[in-house]
Amino acid sequence: MNINSSLIQFRSSIKSTVKRWETVLTFLLLSEFIVFSLANEKFTFARMLLSINDIISICIISLFVTFVMVTGGIDIQAGSIVGLTSIVIGVSWQDGGMNIWGAVIVSVIVAALCGALSGFFVAYCGVQPMIVTLGGSFLFSGIALLISKISSTESYKGISGFPDSFTQIAKYKLFGVISSQLLIFIALIIICYFLLHKSKYGRSVFLVGVNHEASEYSGINSRLVVMSTYILSGIGASIAGIVLTAYLGTAKSDIGVTFTLPIITAVVLGGTLSTGGKGSIFGTALAAVVIGVLRFGLPLSFKISTQYLDIPVGILLLAVVIGRALASNPKTSAFFNKLLRKKSVG
Amino acid sequence: MSLIKKITKIREMSSLLFLVILFGVVGLINSDFLTPTSLINCLNDSVVFTLLACGIAFTIFTGEIDVSIGAILGITAAVTSTMLVNGSSWIVAVMVGIIIGAVIGIFNGWGVAYLGIPSLIFTLGTNGIIRGSIYVYTKGAWVENLPVWFTKLSQFKLVGNLTAYYTITLVAVIAASLILTRTRKGKYFIAVGDNASGATLVGIPTKKTKMLAYILSGVFAAVAGIIYSSRIGFITPTAGSGYEMRAIAACVLGGISLSGGLGSLIGASIGAIIMSSVSRILVFLGFSSDYDNTITGVLLITIVVVDALAQNRSAIKNRRQRLMARTALLPPAKGEKQHEH
Repeated sequence: MNINSSLIQFRSSIKSTVKRWETVLTFLLLSEFIVFSLANEKFTFARMLLSINDIISICIISLFVTFVMVTGGIDIQAGSIVGLTSIVIGVSWQDGGMNIWGAVIVSVIVAALCGALSGFFVAYCGVQPMIVTLGGSFLFSGIALLISKISSTESYKGISGFPDSFTQIAKYKLFGVISSQLLIFIALIIICYFLLHKSKYGRSVFLVGVNHEASEYSGINSRLVVMSTYILSGIGASIAGIVLTAYLGTAKSDIGVTFTLPIITAVVLGGTLSTGGKGSIFGTALAAVVIGVLRFGLPLSFKISTQYLDIPVGILLLAVVIGRALASNPKTSAFFNKLLRKKSVG
Repeated sequence: MSLIKKITKIREMSSLLFLVILFGVVGLINSDFLTPTSLINCLNDSVVFTLLACGIAFTIFTGEIDVSIGAILGITAAVTSTMLVNGSSWIVAVMVGIIIGAVIGIFNGWGVAYLGIPSLIFTLGTNGIIRGSIYVYTKGAWVENLPVWFTKLSQFKLVGNLTAYYTITLVAVIAASLILTRTRKGKYFIAVGDNASGATLVGIPTKKTKMLAYILSGVFAAVAGIIYSSRIGFITPTAGSGYEMRAIAACVLGGISLSGGLGSLIGASIGAIIMSSVSRILVFLGFSSDYDNTITGVLLITIVVVDALAQNRSAIKNRRQRLMARTALLPPAKGEKQHEH
């Protein structure tokens, strides 16, 4: 059938663009390094590796949000779950008298439950994912604030004084150079890669994103798959929260509230289609690093205040989506082809 | 047609009923809440949310969303206030504010309607850029010392104890609502959201309608920003952040369907009153404002889930009715495929 052949064509074109897209991202990353290090000699690769902690949370969360967006959903509550994780660790350790590792496990469970709640409403009640996770971001940041009020420490100060074994999560350095956060990120990339691209579960995630009904008819419990992606992104947010809390040495309820824009930008920039069915872990990882380097390099090399960083990130997001929309529009691509031909003739 | 009309009427009625019950329950616990002054204050305080909710309602009618309105409110408030502090005439300042809103609306509309980019992602990007621009414009400082006449204007009473702002907003909303339901062009918004390809087939300019929806959303947010600065009297760089979410929540509370094509501006206004009363109700019930986000989140999730479940049920019911009607009319044929939707 005609539709079938065009679908195959469409798929192969997607494959080639993904490959090309990751090359584009690599070039983008390299050019960032070159520009930033030319502008300021303090900007070096080694320093970048050492100060990865500023960007690691966004990198970690965006890996997991990729799963959600491949199914055609969206998750804007991950940022608030980071704060919730952090304060749950702090309160259950300090005021609950728990072992620190027990507190960490509790926080992961809480985050997974938060993801499950939103995922349940999206998958089983058919509510739009954006609105559910929007409500979730209100709810979870509100709960985090309320939990912080239970604590004997005043909430704006944050809970600190964690044992060394916990802060070592973020402060350990392999061979004195490679930080544990980088190792965690690489490990998570590998885990997510196998989960999304090499496992049966990953195939069903993609199929649900491409065609919900077809996946249902082919025997996949598509609702469960959709719900599981939100649980995964909740767990991802909790890992980011644990690493961030360990690095900062303080547990606060409001860390992570500014992460929403960078996370969505990273996933979209990484080549994931917001309508679902397409995306790659390597793309997201590269894009997250591109954004991270941007957020790290602009203040260092060009003295741009960190409060302004939403502008370049927003522009990056819009540039990518506009560029893609224009490229897929037959009129504009024909126009560019004409332009190129004219040039080659002239 | 009469059936659709009936449904929309019921939807509005249910949100009005919710408002009455909510206020009634709060009044039972603390009777001070139900005094006329307190109730009038509830209305007066809802003016910013009413404008935001009615603005974003246009985009929601067409089946899209605009999460940049909070930032638009912030930037117009900052720009207008700064101009007024620097002594420019109020007409110029207000015009500049409205033009900023309209220009951002045009940009959003271009991206969503003409480039076909998912509206949440596009407006999230715009939101980030505008938020950052507010910091650039104000250099992170507060805009303070607004002219006294400007802040006093928010206290000006026009009808009874209703402020001039609320009265004018109410009149504007009713007028816009009449345009939406009574005129041919006004009905385009709902039609596009109900069935975009169908609307295109009958000759409705879908893209233009969406563009207009974004412009209206931007302009309403800009006016909300100006009124916000007059009421509050100082502008922080984070002014209006999170308001877009509350405006969406207000629309949902007012019975507007987030998948588009269903709802009314009157509903949005009722939703806005409920939404802006949340913190006030918390005070009357003796809770601290720390509960604000939690209550808002619970309210929002509950309402969308109930709304979705009700819609699913009515969709199934409608399908069954159509199926029944068809099987009653047609002789049963073997192997005939039933195509719904």
